[in-house]
Amino acid sequence: MTSSAVPYNLNEIGKFFLLSGVWLGIIFGAVWAACWAVGMLVPQLILNAYPNDPCALNVANAIRLLTPLVGVMVFIPINAMYMVLAERRGLALFTVRKGPNRVGPDGFLQTAADAVKLLFKENINPHGGDVLMFTLAPIIFFAPSVFGAIPLLAAVTSNHDLFKIVNLPTGIFYVLAMSSIPVVGIVMGGWASNNKYSLVGGLRSAAQAISYEIPLVLAIITTCFLVGSLDVVNIAQMQKGTDNLASFGFLNWNFFGAGAIPHYLDLLMQGKLEGAQVVTSAFWSLALAFCCILLCGIYLTGACAEINRIPFDLPEAESELVSGYNTEYSGIRFAIFFLAEFTNLFIVSTVAVVMWFGGGATPFPGFLDANTFASIATPFNQALAQAGLPPLMDGQTMSGAFWAIFKTYALVYFAILVRGTLPRFRIDQLLDFGWKKLIPLSLILLLAVTYIRELV
Amino acid sequence: MGDLSELATLASKHMETWLFYLVALITVPFAFGVLLDRNIIRAGFLLIGVFGGISALFLLLQAQFLAMAQLMIYAVGITLVVVIALMLTNPRMEEDKSPSIPAQKAPAALVGTLLFIALYMAILSEGWGNNSEALSPDNITIIGYSLLTHYALPFEFASILLLIALVGAVMLAKHDHFNSKADIDEIEEETKEISERNEHVVKV
Repeated sequence: MTSSAVPYNLNEIGKFFLLSGVWLGIIFGAVWAACWAVGMLVPQLILNAYPNDPCALNVANAIRLLTPLVGVMVFIPINAMYMVLAERRGLALFTVRKGPNRVGPDGFLQTAADAVKLLFKENINPHGGDVLMFTLAPIIFFAPSVFGAIPLLAAVTSNHDLFKIVNLPTGIFYVLAMSSIPVVGIVMGGWASNNKYSLVGGLRSAAQAISYEIPLVLAIITTCFLVGSLDVVNIAQMQKGTDNLASFGFLNWNFFGAGAIPHYLDLLMQGKLEGAQVVTSAFWSLALAFCCILLCGIYLTGACAEINRIPFDLPEAESELVSGYNTEYSGIRFAIFFLAEFTNLFIVSTVAVVMWFGGGATPFPGFLDANTFASIATPFNQALAQAGLPPLMDGQTMSGAFWAIFKTYALVYFAILVRGTLPRFRIDQLLDFGWKKLIPLSLILLLAVTYIRELV
Repeated sequence: MGDLSELATLASKHMETWLFYLVALITVPFAFGVLLDRNIIRAGFLLIGVFGGISALFLLLQAQFLAMAQLMIYAVGITLVVVIALMLTNPRMEEDKSPSIPAQKAPAALVGTLLFIALYMAILSEGWGNNSEALSPDNITIIGYSLLTHYALPFEFASILLLIALVGAVMLAKHDHFNSKADIDEIEEETKEISERNEHVVKV
């Protein structure tokens, strides 16, 4: 390696961070503005125009209820654009290339241009294919991810009033049920294409999704069982750390044994443990934390297989199947498949953040928490109040959203790193790994957690 | 503020009836499609619509857990297994154009009618335990408790049934090529033939 290689790459890493910052700013500015407009501004304008009118009140409330949907709808396309760009630039970093760098300033607009190109391409129906199913497949692949993501909004915005309605008592189960539907879209698209490669891709996807869904669901169930709730808002709030040692910051996350470690440290500091108890209690706490880390690992592995990412991207293995289930797709239908794939990556990362990494809680108490963001928000809110408009943001929601986004993208970058590092599995290795390793391991962990949580 | 409780009061009995008919209007054509579509794989995919409609009915009855389970297990899991089995047994994916056998029509109609009458009478019968009291918001907890206390035995039996099915499937799928002597002899002969042929090729 030449001596100039290292500073060159540092420069590229700097560009990558700049790109991420700019794009994330655009995404969340747009989503925040849309939610504010639909949830606060429009209802207020309606109520100002027709005061004391019960019908106007109903209309305003109905518009307010649409906020989560509008937020998700604005978020998904822009977010997918950013994620595709980040993935290409990230992979370029790992392989010491430059990545897309021509369109717009330093390639910032590459995926925007790609999206426009895809939208204007011709839709081609394959000869002898089933046109209706061929058209429906991308929709079935995409729609559930929109609806599935919605309850998570309540969890990551600290249960904001506007998003309260989307919080279901079945919470995480609803998310799982919704995220299991897209496989049907893949099989359908693969079959309707009337193409052997597509069909093999679709069948592989089904086999893979069915086998990896079991460890994935078992990992989530075990964590729900440890926490004692299915409600995503509850799960996120239970992990919220405080600054006293019994539930300190990030140690209180489910990733570290759902509060077992800080609880042990607290007991130790207060001197409530005697003799052998110091050791046994430490052992069981660490064992529980170890189980939780393994559960999170199983979940991430299963999720990788569910959303067909490398190393489990057999349904679209381009060296064997051209492009798998989406070989015959072009134009906007292909764009929808593409969009859904990246949205699914974002959603599984969000689920992991809510289940194991504390949702919207700060990792260190007092660091960029609700108070910090409240002080940032105050001047904006005051300026808007002078113009007679509703407040733009509050500290609690801001901090929740910021940290949830930060953690989610950390996991997304981890997925990109995995993609840049690992080779693709073979189909028999993949099924062996799922059925003979992951499923037994997750069953053992379910049993282990049952007993250990009584001993901690 | 539009709260869930407000929505619940909005959804009066009247509205529930309308929603029921709406769901039925969507589900019943799907069910007919499953029966009437000559393309058997498309019929398999139409099952998703039927199961989805049933899960919507569960949602109307405020049985959220059942609705989600229906969606996850039937609409996705079962349908996929059905469709894949169809694809593997009918690899040419042709439409089934063979005429139906007339001798089968009469018994089929009879069984269908009898089944319909039995289900209809069951639905009309008493003892469904109609009570109009509101469901508690955490009925998942209640389902969990009753599954592990009052209904523990049936629950366990269901799992044993599944285990038997799994073991049976493994036994059926396991091709033990080398369990009989005849098989081994056959394979040895084949390998001998192949090696002879290879030698011949090499000589040529």
